[in-house]
Amino acid sequence: MSEFAKEEELKKLLEDKFGTGISAINIQRIRRVWLEAAPEKLVEILEFLKAAGFDHISTITGFDEGENLGAFYHATDTHILATIKVKTPLSSPKLPTITGIFPGAISYERELEDLLGIKIEGLPPGRRYPLDDEFPKDQYPLRKTWKTADFQAARKAAASLIKEAR
Amino acid sequence: MSKITIPLGPQHPALKEPENFMLVLEGEQIENATINLGYNHRGMEKAAEERTFIQNMYLLERVCGICSHSHTTCYVTNVEEAAKAEVPERARAIRTLVGELERVHSHLLWIGVAGYEMGFETLFMYTWRDREQVLDCLELLSGNRVHYSINTIGGVRRDITPEQKNEVLKRINFLEERTKYYIKVATEEPTVRARTADVGKLPYDIAIERGAVGPTARASGVKRDVRKDDPYLIYDKLDFSLITHDTCDVFGRLVVRALELMESYKLIKQVLNYLPEGPITVKVPSRIAPAEALNRYEAPRGEDIHYLKTNGTDKPERLKVRAPTLANLQSVTYMLEGGWLADVPLVIAAIDPCMSCTDRAMVYDRKAGKTQVYDWEDLRKLGIEAYKRRGVDFTKL
Repeated sequence: MSEFAKEEELKKLLEDKFGTGISAINIQRIRRVWLEAAPEKLVEILEFLKAAGFDHISTITGFDEGENLGAFYHATDTHILATIKVKTPLSSPKLPTITGIFPGAISYERELEDLLGIKIEGLPPGRRYPLDDEFPKDQYPLRKTWKTADFQAARKAAASLIKEAR
Repeated sequence: MSKITIPLGPQHPALKEPENFMLVLEGEQIENATINLGYNHRGMEKAAEERTFIQNMYLLERVCGICSHSHTTCYVTNVEEAAKAEVPERARAIRTLVGELERVHSHLLWIGVAGYEMGFETLFMYTWRDREQVLDCLELLSGNRVHYSINTIGGVRRDITPEQKNEVLKRINFLEERTKYYIKVATEEPTVRARTADVGKLPYDIAIERGAVGPTARASGVKRDVRKDDPYLIYDKLDFSLITHDTCDVFGRLVVRALELMESYKLIKQVLNYLPEGPITVKVPSRIAPAEALNRYEAPRGEDIHYLKTNGTDKPERLKVRAPTLANLQSVTYMLEGGWLADVPLVIAAIDPCMSCTDRAMVYDRKAGKTQVYDWEDLRKLGIEAYKRRGVDFTKL
């Protein structure tokens, strides 16, 4: 038995079940397993993992890789963290909701919508989170093209215009 | 009777930090609760991408005023993992020590707040007086009461002398006696029981479903503690128990935290007696090759998780922080529903919410588009003028 017995077991379980549906499955170190999947497989994989004891979503980390946006779903059975990476094209970024399996993930999904502009399909309507109501709806601060300095300059210009008007 | 919707917050005497609950009431009973967040969003994840790894230590310390050490430890563990640095054992022990002292200070603070919310202000005064002892310990070890800045990349910034060790032990022994009294109060005092039993129920299944963490989950019988499940620092070498309770209510959350205090004292003594000799830092290069790291930390409020991606420069490519309160808030709406309006402050306080931890992303002026917009310079000028009118001239300083 290798020192990664449990991790190997999880890897085999996922490979047997999903075969080519998942890729780049990697045991990074003890208790850390990473894999990549297509967005349409995401819900199925998480359902499978939940049934296998991975009943807690620690968080969802959104990312911007230039051509693709995407997210890491960090699922855990409290010991092992299994991270599923899914990518979605920048031209029309969308991912399915996982709130059907993990209702607690709703705030993490709203963050993806608000900060990265990834449309979450099936997310129940509700107030935006975490940006404030007056923040421009077409700007997504965690995208790499969004620069804090530009935003500050635009705010400053708007402020001086208002001052002049007064 | 018709239903009434009342807003609780963002500014409300019962809330210590801004958040908003919309409560639909049928008489005094809550039929539905929704939660609105984001009032403290400061843009830290974005800001972190524009700062170097060492600058981010100080940024992340300010994610939260109470669990400052939790966030920096989780962050620095990620940085060290990405840089493949081996942190000296002594530094890891000191980090553990400060982490447990932080838990003691946070739990004592919470017991005080709970006492206050249940109308038992003597308990509030007692615990906050005793909490000064642990703050003194932290000040002694780090020079600061809340933002200890003990961590640095590759180790810790200050060593512990034998005198400091004795001083800390003395105070911990005192706190241990006091905590025994609090456990007696929490479990035997009829007013505490009457005010907390069966309030804010969160059954085991719902706690799992909504992803509750920390003492909130453990009071619903969920055996989860990152220190046990995914050991970091030197927790795998230490002997302590995982405290759970099965009443699934505010009473359980009180008992869990009170008993966890005793475990923390045990841990602090073990670490102080263990403290291996050796260096307290190793050198870590300022540029870190592309890598990914994911680490968790059991903060006083529960599981804190950080993700870090490096790209070969001295700044992170992506840093993600999820503080425990965000995981717990989905459970709060469940706890409130079916309960009474008068219990709301107590139920909210029972998860020990920490909003500035939870909302981290935007700092900019909310009033753009309205008639008044101040930028930093304007605000500074206004402040200076306001003080000048009162006879204090800061421009001369």
